[in-house]
Amino acid sequence: MTTTSSQRLIRMLAMVPYLQSNAGVPVSELAATFGVSEAQITKDLSVLMMTGVGEYHGELIDVDLGALERDGVVYLRDADFMPRPLTLTTREASSLIVALRTLRQAATGDQRKAIDGALAKLEGAVGASAPVDVHLPNVDAGIKDTILSALSRGHQLDLEYVTAARDERTRRRVDPWRVFTEQGQLYLSAWCHRAVDVRTFRLDRIVAAEETDLPVERSRESAEGESDIPAALFTPGPDTPFAVLDLEPEALWLIDEYQAEVVEGSGDTERTRVRLYGSDLGWLRRLVLRNAGLVHVVEPRELADEVVAQARAALAAYDE
Amino acid sequence: MNLFFLLLAANQYLTKEQIRESIADYRDSTPGAFERKFERDKDELRELGIAIETGSRDPYFDDEVGYRIRRDEAELPDLSFTREEAAVIGLAAQVWDSASLAGESATAVVKLKSIGVDIDTDAMRMVEPRLSAHEPSFDAVLTAATRRVPIAFSYRKADGTESRREVEPWGLISVRDRWYLGGYDRERRAPRLFRLSRVTSDVTHVGEAGSYVVPEGVNLRDLADALFPAPPTEAAMLRVRAGRAQSLRRIAEHVESIDEVTDRVSVRYASTRVLAGEIASFGPDVVVESPESLRAAVIARLRAAVKEEA
Repeated sequence: MTTTSSQRLIRMLAMVPYLQSNAGVPVSELAATFGVSEAQITKDLSVLMMTGVGEYHGELIDVDLGALERDGVVYLRDADFMPRPLTLTTREASSLIVALRTLRQAATGDQRKAIDGALAKLEGAVGASAPVDVHLPNVDAGIKDTILSALSRGHQLDLEYVTAARDERTRRRVDPWRVFTEQGQLYLSAWCHRAVDVRTFRLDRIVAAEETDLPVERSRESAEGESDIPAALFTPGPDTPFAVLDLEPEALWLIDEYQAEVVEGSGDTERTRVRLYGSDLGWLRRLVLRNAGLVHVVEPRELADEVVAQARAALAAYDE
Repeated sequence: MNLFFLLLAANQYLTKEQIRESIADYRDSTPGAFERKFERDKDELRELGIAIETGSRDPYFDDEVGYRIRRDEAELPDLSFTREEAAVIGLAAQVWDSASLAGESATAVVKLKSIGVDIDTDAMRMVEPRLSAHEPSFDAVLTAATRRVPIAFSYRKADGTESRREVEPWGLISVRDRWYLGGYDRERRAPRLFRLSRVTSDVTHVGEAGSYVVPEGVNLRDLADALFPAPPTEAAMLRVRAGRAQSLRRIAEHVESIDEVTDRVSVRYASTRVLAGEIASFGPDVVVESPESLRAAVIARLRAAVKEEA
């Protein structure tokens, strides 16, 4: 784990050559580039001014304090001894190499060429690779490419989409915003003309996509204050339906899969009692039926009744 | 930092005494304190990947040992990227979430910008994948796999049992947003895959860096094969209520209408257990016509559900 003090040292060592090749950069921009506050940048600069190759004038790094205080911009002098940054550390190189491999999996043909070029140059420069592999879910390449094409040209899209919870197929016109991954799934966020709101679509549930010639009406940039933050995908709230279930050992994987909470009181050493949230009762019913025999409903009563009624109706269809 | 600047600027061996004379903090310290500070600072630089060489300024004299940093090794070499390559690097720096390697990729990008790489991420519209690494053992395991250090940790299996494992890490693989370590399990004498979220202790080193070799041709994807769905080998014919069971229609090979309310849907599958569960979840909306093994599995599942009735 990299400690705070060594992170600071790495940052300041990166700042010295950066400030020489970007003379007059505003403190605000510097803060954004390095991902720290402006106050931290000012502190870093004052430490830099106490360092250098010696202790005399011309040997210590000098920051133009006038320009800093008057205009909030940074000019560095007497740092010629370090004109270039340190080579990438193994972790820095690994972080980019792994990220590029991840991007590569979701990329289109042309983009892959650029990624392969960047990877080869980076791996060559640091003489190292990373023993890390990332797998993204497989989705229909045609649908993904259509969405990415509409995204880069700013065109509206026609989607045919399947919702799992309600088991229905819908058609909608959307303004695509971005495609991202979250918890191992690929999603498209878009302004949905039908819902007149931001919607998130799981890519493997988009069964057809067609790019139109129409420019988007509401882009992500123009929709200020509209959030498509993926954290909001599924967060149980006080009104989220849930079931209390007893799981047999073979069904314990459901705890991780659906982030169920283990609760007390199954009264059976073999079984584990959990509270599991679902988007609606129908979704919970399907989950129980899918794992019938390994998952026992404790509450709500309504769910237990529905599971039995559905199973009876299905058996009747088999003449059983 | 002064030690680094001094050695970088000198670009030749400096004796310990010369170093002490040049840096006020060292000069003002007692000899003992100087030794401690000097060692501490050298360690800190080494941790940043800056190699300090020791050697002699003059090979013909039994000179005092000197220290230097080789500029050509310490500095980032010149790199030129196309506009598209630079753009994908910029996008790559946004892949890691803040709790993991985001800081490292941000610093890497700053270094590239300092050598004149112009990064304009608007040049590309791509899928924006996110990588996270919330598992507490991630850092230690990544470091061990990179430096080839054998490690030990305690591991909780899916059935809840815990045991100590000793592993030669080959690499890490992320599948469905979860990290797995692939490597050679020394006690079981076989390759194994470990889910990092099930590592329940600190990771300790049980050997030197580079003390084992990753076998030629090892592919983590093969080791992780069990995590991926098998290719379909079986075919099933189903009767599905019109407009229902969308998850099955999505993977259907063929859909034809029997009458106004029923479709015949054919699907290919690998696991009877998995498909039977999916079919049972739709209740009376899906009925299996063939094969018999699938039909029996669905009926067994439905009977188990009916038996639940209090």
